[in-house]
Amino acid sequence: MRQLFSLFLALLSAASLSSAASDYHEQLVLRPLPLSTLLASFNFRSNITLSSFEAHNFDLFPRSLAQILQHAGTRELHLRFSLGRWDAQSWGARPWDGAREGGTGVELWAWLEAETDEEADQKWRTLTNALSGLFCASLNFIDGTRTTRPVMSFQPEGDHPNATMENMHLLYGVLPHEVVCTENLTPFLKLLPCKGKAGVASLLDGHKLFDASWQSMAIDIRPVCPSGGECVLEIEQTIDMVLDIERSKRPRDNPIPRPVPDHELKCDSSKPYHSHGTCFPTDYSAGQDWSLSQIFGKSIKETCPLTDPSIPPVCLQVPESRSVYASQGSTEKKNPDRMSRCFEIEPETGFEMILPRIETEDPAKSAAVELVKPETPLLYAERSFTGHGQERGGVQTILRNPSLDTEVEFIYMESLPWFMRIYLHTIEARIEGHFGEQEPLIKEVYYRPAVDRARGTQLEVRMRVPPASTVFLTYDFEKSILRYTEYPPDANRGFDVAAAVITILNPEKNGTRFAVYNMRTTSLLCSLPTPDFSMPYNVIIFTSTAIALAFGGMFNILVRRFVAADEGPEMGSTIKEKLGRRIKKLIEKLVKGKTAEKTAAVETKG
Amino acid sequence: MDGSKVTLGRTAGLYAGAAVLRLALFTLFPGLPDLLTGRVEISTPVTSFKRLQEGLFLYNHNVSPYDGGVYHQAPLLLPLFSLLPSFATLPIFTYLLYIAVDLASASALIKIADSGEAGSSALFTSPRRQKRWSGFIVAAVFLFNPFTVATCIGRSTSVFTTAAILHAIAKAVAGAPFSAMVAISFASYLSMYPLLLLPPLLLLCYDRQPTSRAVKSGYQFATTNIGVVIAVLGALFQMSYFMTGSWEFLPSTYGVQLTLSDLTPNIGLWWYFFIEMFDSFRSFFLAVFWLHLSCYVGGLSIRIRRQPLVVLTLLLGLFAIFKPYPSISDASLFLAMVPLYRHVFPLMRYTFVIAAVIMYTTFLGPAFYHLWIYAGSGNANFFYAITLVWGLGLSLLVCDLTFAVLRDEWEVERPEMVGKDIRQI
Repeated sequence: MRQLFSLFLALLSAASLSSAASDYHEQLVLRPLPLSTLLASFNFRSNITLSSFEAHNFDLFPRSLAQILQHAGTRELHLRFSLGRWDAQSWGARPWDGAREGGTGVELWAWLEAETDEEADQKWRTLTNALSGLFCASLNFIDGTRTTRPVMSFQPEGDHPNATMENMHLLYGVLPHEVVCTENLTPFLKLLPCKGKAGVASLLDGHKLFDASWQSMAIDIRPVCPSGGECVLEIEQTIDMVLDIERSKRPRDNPIPRPVPDHELKCDSSKPYHSHGTCFPTDYSAGQDWSLSQIFGKSIKETCPLTDPSIPPVCLQVPESRSVYASQGSTEKKNPDRMSRCFEIEPETGFEMILPRIETEDPAKSAAVELVKPETPLLYAERSFTGHGQERGGVQTILRNPSLDTEVEFIYMESLPWFMRIYLHTIEARIEGHFGEQEPLIKEVYYRPAVDRARGTQLEVRMRVPPASTVFLTYDFEKSILRYTEYPPDANRGFDVAAAVITILNPEKNGTRFAVYNMRTTSLLCSLPTPDFSMPYNVIIFTSTAIALAFGGMFNILVRRFVAADEGPEMGSTIKEKLGRRIKKLIEKLVKGKTAEKTAAVETKG
Repeated sequence: MDGSKVTLGRTAGLYAGAAVLRLALFTLFPGLPDLLTGRVEISTPVTSFKRLQEGLFLYNHNVSPYDGGVYHQAPLLLPLFSLLPSFATLPIFTYLLYIAVDLASASALIKIADSGEAGSSALFTSPRRQKRWSGFIVAAVFLFNPFTVATCIGRSTSVFTTAAILHAIAKAVAGAPFSAMVAISFASYLSMYPLLLLPPLLLLCYDRQPTSRAVKSGYQFATTNIGVVIAVLGALFQMSYFMTGSWEFLPSTYGVQLTLSDLTPNIGLWWYFFIEMFDSFRSFFLAVFWLHLSCYVGGLSIRIRRQPLVVLTLLLGLFAIFKPYPSISDASLFLAMVPLYRHVFPLMRYTFVIAAVIMYTTFLGPAFYHLWIYAGSGNANFFYAITLVWGLGLSLLVCDLTFAVLRDEWEVERPEMVGKDIRQI
């Protein structure tokens, strides 16, 4: 019986293998970046036909996610978990042209099918709550104040029939405060067919991933209709991380950096005072040797058997002149562009790769061998706060177009918390060092102001940056003071403000792609004025006393009659006399003791 | 004849002086208007000029200013300011408008002062009425009061309310109930709280009716005039509705004052109280605070029935302390009315304390606010304590004025008690 069962199982898995072989593939692209860093891009993609999706036959598509999508009427979904800052100045253009990237924290946008806005909101709540449970993230905190409906910035990536397009609602939510960590990675890997146990995904380890200088995990689900074929629902999971090679090479059992002995010190030989006796230590050393197991803590033990064998699982983007040693059982395939190579791995074999140290002293030469020169991004953007104090401030975004001849047109989107009250009339875009008349830089503004405690600000600006110029986009805002229960426990840390989303539009108006490049600025930390959290009772008492004094004083004067000082009922006349008598009594008591008190009592009775 | 000519010349000189002072401040210190606009003592969420500009910007770009958390002012201010040449290019017109409004307030104040209503109303004549300040001095005190000047330079929209209230009182004193009702409706439309002034204003109008076409029946008089107020307010709301296209301005202007959803600090007592209030008691205390604010109207109107102008003055003082978003503009309106009672000043007991407290808070308030918000060396309690002292100082002034006025009334019955010690039972 047992044998029969296992035979049945084997048959079943063989069947699924044959059908799924072309439906899933995974790939790791490694690209050394300047300053001794390494970009590792993991990409996992699987498909499922829409008909089998409808029939609940999910195949390699993660069932848990598929059911959520069906339940919430989601047609297209994009989820991002990101941490760190992409250093565009040294690392150049972003991987995937920024399309698989989110701002710090968690970002989620989805197209939901709904008849009305209310229904869309309802489904959105269902979706965020379900995803929150699935990914162990606080996505359920994406409420009305953190949800916007972008108008210009996003376009569906998938192919949607026109009939459903009309009823699709785009909702966008962002949680800048969310700290992405291991508990988000585990469910992410569980969605993969090999569950991170085999294939390139086995390299992913929370210790390394969240130690990266920059990392972004993305899930994109969209329907794709190939011409002439059946429409499929495609899930693409992407992890991009920038690792510091030197940091990653630190042994795991001894991770604390210690001073290196003199002879191992790496010196910056470009300094004029560099000699045998003096050394200016370099931040990083070019041309380092590294291997997969050093960087990721382990090598690939086995390929994932479900993956499409025609797509090489590991690719490395280094110049052809750099020597690379790969383990047995793999074949190196050089790309014709001489700037990258891929490794095909035989089934059921492991993979390890070693890049030896480049033995050249000249830094320029070593860089040419070590890495492919990064592409210049279309736009540099940095955003910061201006002003001081906790009352008001400004936001300034510096947008620089490095191109010498092409103008960049893009949509700048901010979704700000309601307690940052922005003054749209102060929005201004100016070119650095350029005064006088010029064509307006801002072409279109979509603005939906915040409503206190109900809705955040949504600002979308379509603007352009002329070639080789820097544009300052500024606006003022006012910080509002909240009710004391609305502050988080660490109120003085400040409030995270989500990254601005920049979508660079395709200059060809009828091009297939809507955006040619996406980027996010860093998130900001906005400090609000805080009340004294320790004294709600005191404030209630003090204010009530002030009001009681005014009320009492006023009505005391209004309701009582005037009489001359010596008129009216006796009643013990003025306060002064009363007080005097009391004090006299008290003194008498103290002096004469009990007997005196008795006599006093008798006196008053009499 | 000569005398009136001289007065006219003097008044014109006063106006010119006030206007020149303001214009000089506007033009010689170009940073000053924006600096003052940013001060929480001058600009509240419901009167701030910066918020007005934002509302205007949204209105001119076809975004409803009321579908947001910034603009909480009356809708009709929007077309008024859009008719003016753009503030960004020609600010001088805005400055001139604010100066004109201040001068209009001063002229109303002169009318009130010169009518002598403060000293001798229809039902009561003070024995001390001879000792009074002329309209010229009262207007000068108003126009050169630093609070008034700062409000004008800060371009707070509360100046419109101030002008409307003063005109309502001036018209009532002049025996023109209809105009008074129209003016008080405008004031109520702009900031809501002046509606509470309606009962004493009705009494004042009733007392000062011209004998030729006086309405004897109090009920008839009240109903007609309340009808006028309702009609004017209804017309204003209708106009606002047509202008903004929806009724959403109501929750955004008056709703904010009722529920205090914007907790920006100001010199009043509400903001910190409702920051620190427990959520479950918020609505209860909102009701209590509003009830407290309105409870003075009945008490004062009944007790000081014989002098409705006193009731109006005292109520303005109380509103300056206890309304949800008070600013120094409200204090300046109250302090403009106080000099009308020059004749009872000798009866006041705590003038020195009051003056000292007001000076103390005026100087320490901005300092403590700076310590909290900018220097970071103080916390919110610093500014809160100052607002508390300010509130106590002003309420002492209100109480003391009430006492003085009532003693003045009493001394008519007991002329022999002048200057004697008295007590209240």
